[in-house]
Amino acid sequence: MSEMANTDPEGIDGVRMTWNVWPRTKVEASKCVIPLAACISPIRPHPDIPTLPYAPLRCKTCSAVLNPFSRVDFTAKIWICPFCYQRNHFPQHYSMISETNLPGELYPQYTTVQYALPQTSNPNSFDSSPQSQPSPVFLFVLDTCMIEEEMGYVKSALKRAIGLLPDNALVGFVSFGTQVQVHELGFSDMSKVYVFRGSKEISKEQVLEQLGLAVAGRRPAAGGFQQKGVPGFPDSGVTRFLLPASDCEYTLNLLLDELQTDQWPVPPGSRSSRCTGVALSVAAGLLGACVPGTGARIIALVGGPCTEGPGTIVSKDLSEPVRSHKDLDKDAAAYFKKAVKYYDGLAKQLVSQGHVLDLFASALDQVGVAEMKVAIEKTGGLVVLAESFGHSVFKDSFKRVFEEGEQSLGLCFNGTLEINCSKDIKIQGIIGPCTSLEKKGPAVADTIIGEGNTTEWKMCGLDNSTCLTVFFDLSSSDRSNTPGTVNPQLYLQFLTSYQNPEGQMMLRVTTVTRRWIDSAVSSEELVQGFDQEAAAVVMARKTSLKMEMEESFDATRWLDRALIRLCAKFGDYRKDDPASFTLNPCFSLFPQFMFNLRRSQFVQVFNNSPDETAYFRMLLNRENITNAAVMIQPSLISYSFNSLPAPALLDVASVAADQILLLDSYFSVVIFHGMTIAQWRNMGYQNQPEHQAFAQLLQAPQADAQVIIRERFPVPRLVVCDQHGSQARFLLAKLNPSATYNNAHEMAAGSDVIFTDDVSLQVFFEHLQRLAVQS
Amino acid sequence: MAANVPPPGAPRPNSNNFVPPPNYNPSAQRPPDYLAENLQNLNLNRPPSMPNSAPRPSPYGQPPPFPSSAPPPGVPVASPPFPRPGPPPGVLARPSMPLSGPSQATLPPGGAPLRPTGPPVGQPSPFVSRPPPGSLPSPMSGYVTPGCGPPSSGPFQSSSLLSGQVAQRPLQPGARPMPLSSPMIATGQFVPPSSGPGGLMSNGPPNFTSGAIPGAPRFPPIGNVQQPPLGPPQTAMSAMAPPRAPTMHSHLGGSVVSAPPGPPTQPASPFSAAPSPFSAPPQGMPPPPGSPYGSPSWPLQPGQVAPPPPIPGSAQPPRMFGMPPPPPNQSMTTISPAIGQTGAPVAGSTKIDPNQIPRPLPGSSVVLHETRQGNQANPPPPATSDYIVKDTGNCSPRYMRCTINQIPCTADLLTTSGMPLALLVQPFALPHPSEEPIQVVDFGESGPVRCSRCKGYINPFMKFIDQGRRFICNFCGFTDETPRDYHCNLGPDGRRRDADERPELCRGTVEFVATKEFMVRDPMPAVYFFLIDVSMNAIQTGATAAACSAINQVIADLPEGPLTIVGIATFDSTIHFYNLKRALQQPLMLIVPDVQDVYTPLQTDVLVPLSECRQHLELLLESIPTMFQNSKTAESAFGAAIKAAFLAMKTTGGKLLVFQSVLPSTGIGALSAREAEGRANISSGEKEAHKLLQPVDKTLKTMAIEFAEYQVCVDIFITTQSYVDIASISVVPRTTGGQVYYYYPFSALSDPAKLYNDLRWNVTRPQGFEAVMRVRCSQGIQVQEYCGNFCRRVPTDVDLPGIDCDKTIMVTLKHDDKLQDGSECAFQCALLYTTVYGQRRIRVTTLSLPCTSMLTNLFRSADLDTQFTCFLKQAANEIPSSPLLRVREQVTNLCINSLLSYRKFCATVSSSGQLILPEALKLLPLYTLALIKSTGLRTDGRIDDRSFWINYVSSLSTPLAVPLVYPRMVAIHDLDSKEDNDSIIPPVIPLSSEHVNEKGIYLLENGEDCFIYIGNSVDPDILRKLFGVNSTDEVSTQIVLQQYDNSLSKKLNDVVNEIRRQRCNYLRLKLCKKGDPSGMSFFSYMVEDQSQGGPSYVEFLVHIHRQIQVKMSS
Repeated sequence: MSEMANTDPEGIDGVRMTWNVWPRTKVEASKCVIPLAACISPIRPHPDIPTLPYAPLRCKTCSAVLNPFSRVDFTAKIWICPFCYQRNHFPQHYSMISETNLPGELYPQYTTVQYALPQTSNPNSFDSSPQSQPSPVFLFVLDTCMIEEEMGYVKSALKRAIGLLPDNALVGFVSFGTQVQVHELGFSDMSKVYVFRGSKEISKEQVLEQLGLAVAGRRPAAGGFQQKGVPGFPDSGVTRFLLPASDCEYTLNLLLDELQTDQWPVPPGSRSSRCTGVALSVAAGLLGACVPGTGARIIALVGGPCTEGPGTIVSKDLSEPVRSHKDLDKDAAAYFKKAVKYYDGLAKQLVSQGHVLDLFASALDQVGVAEMKVAIEKTGGLVVLAESFGHSVFKDSFKRVFEEGEQSLGLCFNGTLEINCSKDIKIQGIIGPCTSLEKKGPAVADTIIGEGNTTEWKMCGLDNSTCLTVFFDLSSSDRSNTPGTVNPQLYLQFLTSYQNPEGQMMLRVTTVTRRWIDSAVSSEELVQGFDQEAAAVVMARKTSLKMEMEESFDATRWLDRALIRLCAKFGDYRKDDPASFTLNPCFSLFPQFMFNLRRSQFVQVFNNSPDETAYFRMLLNRENITNAAVMIQPSLISYSFNSLPAPALLDVASVAADQILLLDSYFSVVIFHGMTIAQWRNMGYQNQPEHQAFAQLLQAPQADAQVIIRERFPVPRLVVCDQHGSQARFLLAKLNPSATYNNAHEMAAGSDVIFTDDVSLQVFFEHLQRLAVQS
Repeated sequence: MAANVPPPGAPRPNSNNFVPPPNYNPSAQRPPDYLAENLQNLNLNRPPSMPNSAPRPSPYGQPPPFPSSAPPPGVPVASPPFPRPGPPPGVLARPSMPLSGPSQATLPPGGAPLRPTGPPVGQPSPFVSRPPPGSLPSPMSGYVTPGCGPPSSGPFQSSSLLSGQVAQRPLQPGARPMPLSSPMIATGQFVPPSSGPGGLMSNGPPNFTSGAIPGAPRFPPIGNVQQPPLGPPQTAMSAMAPPRAPTMHSHLGGSVVSAPPGPPTQPASPFSAAPSPFSAPPQGMPPPPGSPYGSPSWPLQPGQVAPPPPIPGSAQPPRMFGMPPPPPNQSMTTISPAIGQTGAPVAGSTKIDPNQIPRPLPGSSVVLHETRQGNQANPPPPATSDYIVKDTGNCSPRYMRCTINQIPCTADLLTTSGMPLALLVQPFALPHPSEEPIQVVDFGESGPVRCSRCKGYINPFMKFIDQGRRFICNFCGFTDETPRDYHCNLGPDGRRRDADERPELCRGTVEFVATKEFMVRDPMPAVYFFLIDVSMNAIQTGATAAACSAINQVIADLPEGPLTIVGIATFDSTIHFYNLKRALQQPLMLIVPDVQDVYTPLQTDVLVPLSECRQHLELLLESIPTMFQNSKTAESAFGAAIKAAFLAMKTTGGKLLVFQSVLPSTGIGALSAREAEGRANISSGEKEAHKLLQPVDKTLKTMAIEFAEYQVCVDIFITTQSYVDIASISVVPRTTGGQVYYYYPFSALSDPAKLYNDLRWNVTRPQGFEAVMRVRCSQGIQVQEYCGNFCRRVPTDVDLPGIDCDKTIMVTLKHDDKLQDGSECAFQCALLYTTVYGQRRIRVTTLSLPCTSMLTNLFRSADLDTQFTCFLKQAANEIPSSPLLRVREQVTNLCINSLLSYRKFCATVSSSGQLILPEALKLLPLYTLALIKSTGLRTDGRIDDRSFWINYVSSLSTPLAVPLVYPRMVAIHDLDSKEDNDSIIPPVIPLSSEHVNEKGIYLLENGEDCFIYIGNSVDPDILRKLFGVNSTDEVSTQIVLQQYDNSLSKKLNDVVNEIRRQRCNYLRLKLCKKGDPSGMSFFSYMVEDQSQGGPSYVEFLVHIHRQIQVKMSS
């Protein structure tokens, strides 16, 4: 398996584990330092995954799905569940089964298969005509407290997005500022909006009643709109507030044309009054009334902090800054906890309705992502943080959401993840965009990490790149005493059901197996099964979680300790002799990951606002291992004459006057021109035919950057800078400060120094070695 | 009125016609009789002289029967006495006539005294004369005849009013005998005769004339006399008679008195008779006296009464008279005899001529009124008359008038008089076109000169002293330095030399330009916010369409300019605002769905300058009715809607015009159909009936106070088919200086026109915004209470978010010290407001009146219209908090108390047999009766109608107060035939069904509603001409008056338009047909008729008289 990691580390299963060989006992596991965890990409597309047009067979006791690891008795027409060893008879329609006539799910290579579920078996579908598939629903929630310019940007982005929506998609529109305006798109006589006060918390029931959607006293749409009976939506509210994109595109464009920025006066020295909290609550209520249980997303476009009503993160007084990490640390953020609690409630509501909250925040100041994080993450929403609605980070990301085809995000709805695992394996929980459904079972561990206490999770929204980190524990019983009865293999099965973009309900079943090992006997195999990248990412995620959950948690120290323990356990050394310390290649990269993690925005939060931190963490938690690893430790490529682009050390020493560097730190992509290159470029050599090579050199990193940008969501910020330019900080901040002003005199000309007191990687290693070998 | 007067003669005939035996037939005629009797009792004037007073009372009491019948058709009219300016002549003439007729020395005196007042005694013949004339005359006549021809005449003569009557009388005298009453009258009147002269005198004299006071008394007697007879019909009469007789005398003069004696005897007999009928008999019984009294209350009587009078009478009499009998012992005795007489004659012999009891006389010509003459305050003409004011120092009575034109020096004196002391202030009253406009004075930055202590504004009565260097405030008496640049030397007359050039020093009303000091913010723009009910009901009944159409038309009438701002919203179970900003392609509808806790959906664009949104607005108004066409929302969130609209207007304030069609059923201030609940639960419903007239809770009141604080004035147009709980809703307009318009049942056919006109007048009439008003008084008097449509947050000021020309505020006054006789007491109303064009102004209205310590002066200078307006408003205030019976009782007592006081202290005749009315107040009983029968004080009315009435009254102006309860009725079938009259409006007909001929068509209007009654047997040709139909079956109650191509139709239209102009109201036209509910409602306005709602006029006079006698003797 580790071989596969080189090319397609996740394979058909989309599963990566910190340890691919599992220690037998809880004690041994704990000695491994790095937790047993699996990062799964539940619906990551793979060309080899077959789709089966029928419902799966489930074990009658543990309800695990039939899989290639099941033992099948073809004569008796019986299969044995690998999880609970229950013998199950094949049903009638499997009667043709034989060794040469296997159903897809039993092919050994199809450890992952998809079932396209017939509509009728979909518990979430409407009871209406089975042929019709639910259309995706998009409810746009637009902030209007912004300057005209921003408003113009966001409007055009919205218009473009609406143009990209499939015709059958249902669209709704809510705008807000001081108050919330729910636009009734189905009213033909004139533009009509329902206005909700922004300062008052409003319950779901009130929203329904006030929109005239309450079951009792629901009133038909006033005016001349003809009820079209949107398929699958018997509720008349749907036709008032949510219309097929094809029907309301014109109306919406008109509406957007006339939409003004919030007209409520903003006294000097004050922030705009912005009721994001209520707006989202109203939007949630509207969706809850119109399309409960079907795939729907609230797409919130926010241009500033919530200052009005529930969810407020800061007062209107401009003299009061938005809370910082320092404030949070000192518990000096007056609004924070209340707001988080509010959004937590909103998250619960959305989860129960199966709806997603996406946040597109564009502002120079914070908008409250930190507070809203809970609602976004629990519903599996997308989040994009940009400086302006005119910035490509927003514009291009937003477009990506609605694009179809190759680049499509593959936005799916209403996902549910179930995990089955072999006996003695316990699930602690999941870090990632999901919500625990609190389904208790024998496989639930005592300790919880992230969304735990369950074997089933809800993912209201998920997409092709969605990744979850599942933490496992082992049962404390000591099985080494009865080795004979133990199966050498352990099994994990991930069942993900969801509504795909076309509205089809799918169930993906991934069954993986790993080997138990008695690490007390031999750690060699254990070492071989270590996935450094995955481990680094898992550590990063766990650290982030702990930083959020545990007060006065010292992340750096915790990471250092873990690293030291790990090195002490798996390193080769003589006690108390740092120089003797060597590390197996399977671990060789890990310390560097940890070094960069310690310096990253995930741990050094004080360089960022709470919003940024929340944003980074959400993406860290939902991205796949490769991308997450880039967040922790950016990749650096150097471009120079006479050589192919080559990976460069993430070190200030890589800076050279005659080279171009391309740094990918996930959130930003930096093209850094060495001094000489910059000078040549400024002199326009690239435009001269005789210097075509130079032009190509300039072009190469741009092209590569575009490749990265095109594939990534959210679209990273592209920074093009020159050595010694102010923007160069985007690069320098990520480099190992091997050269600082302290040793600048040692450096060669054309290189660079970093003005920092941070320790360099070398120093870090030195310390690590010393500490690891301490007895 | 004068015109009417003449009619008296005619009327009678008519009345006779209608009421079979006008005079004689006891039964049929009773009315007359009663009246006569009553009248006697009533003696308008106080016959101070009457010694018999005691006896009289008794009689009256017994008489109770009010067979209202029209005794004195013409007589009443007598009002001529008042003959304001114009009339006088005629009146005088008449008086003279009478006088002469009377020949009696007494008479002459009376006549003479009339004005002179020479005989302050009370004979103030003048006073008496007038009032009584009307009422008295008839009675008089009746009496006279009985008592003695001469005496009677005497009385008449005395009263100028009588003149008209007199004329008749003369005949009557002779005739009298004929009229039933000869006997009866005799009884009552006779007595009076003795006193006769005096009494007559009083009456005869013009009421107004100062001298009048004294005279007045006399006449009354006459009235009284008659009444007695009437009431308990004859019986009562008889009873009364005796006593009255005395009274009569007083009134009539000696001559009359003489008669009394006779009566007594008669009375006895009648009495006996009477008793039976009324039960009165028992009462009548001397023994019971005391007891009777207590019992006397009207209610009891009913039973009694019933008997005597024929059918109708029976019922009535009871109420009134039953009790009366008991009066003083003496009276008792006398009474009993009287009763006997009456009883016998009853029907036939009534002395009181219904045609001669006091009735309002229309002033025919325009009078020129100078507010001060010879440095003396000039008592203003009646509020209801047509006059042109020349402001010569005091303000025009249109702006402010006092219930009494002389101020009593002490509180005791005021109490004794039984009259109210109050100002009725109507700061924006419409002037006569010929009057000078109010002058605007700009003092520049320093602002108007004011007293530095009490802040009173400079006015013609501030006295400059010390070469003009200082001035003394006429309110607080403080001496101030004259500001240097305002200094001016004094002339030889002690006035500033520039006094005549400076409006503030020579005019009672001026307007000052307000300085910064008077502004807490920039003057507000003219903001109009329209709020329209679009609930299912409103849409389906066409109310929404009517409202939209009205608004659409009215937009053009809004003040022009950048400061005119409009907004619009509609509501059902939610509230829909509209963004009318021009930049938008079309209006944007903004719905506020939270009707429990509302808010405004936009801070700015809900209200847009008219110039920027005209097109959008028109478009919107056209589309609203169709936009909600299919609405199934029956609920209406009225409270929430006004609150939301208020929030939208909060920053500026302004006018909020609400069109509401159903009971507000949801949201803040939701109401329940408690009317129905009340009905379902009869026991509690009846006990607490008046509670339905109170707001159900304080929600709306609290809201309204907040509205007022932010200068939002709410007017509500209720276009409904059902109960909407006006009692609760109306709190909002009342508190914010707005008003309620009520269209029930709303008709999409006929009401839109009125709705439009009401709305148009509402926005175009002279008005002001964000006003604050305060009335200052000279030392010794202070403001007790303000009453009207406003909000009061501090005790001294009233806040008026909106004030307009139709709104009147009653300011009751009280003494806090003694005033000096001969000094003047000044009142100043200062109204700070913003014009519709955004200018801040202070309108200062000053009235300075002489102080007096003479009770007679008070009565002489009483202002009936104003006093009655006060009573009306007080009653309206009282209705929601007291059981109806008590309110009626209070109203009656107010009337009785002042008459009693007059009788006791001013009337020269003390005989109890006559009802003596001060000339100035001779119509008070009639108006009081009308008030008792008005919508607000009836039990049979719909709750909403009554609530509306109460609300309507609270801001009602003085000139409209009387018509409201005593509407104007004219015949319109014969408009063609009367060419002689130069006034557009034909002569007024008394409100008695006997004046309604089934062959005629009549128009009756009270300033708000206009009923056109079509008799049963009207000439189809007339119908065709007027309404374009051939029979009454073809016309529906709700009509739109059309003009056809014939002169009759044209004249009718002219008449209606003239009335509309006069009333500043489009009037709700209703057709009434006999045998139809509409006919019933028409006849319910016949206040002089005896009806379920109360006694007839004559009966009522008898009752009053009885009460007075009772009190005199107790």
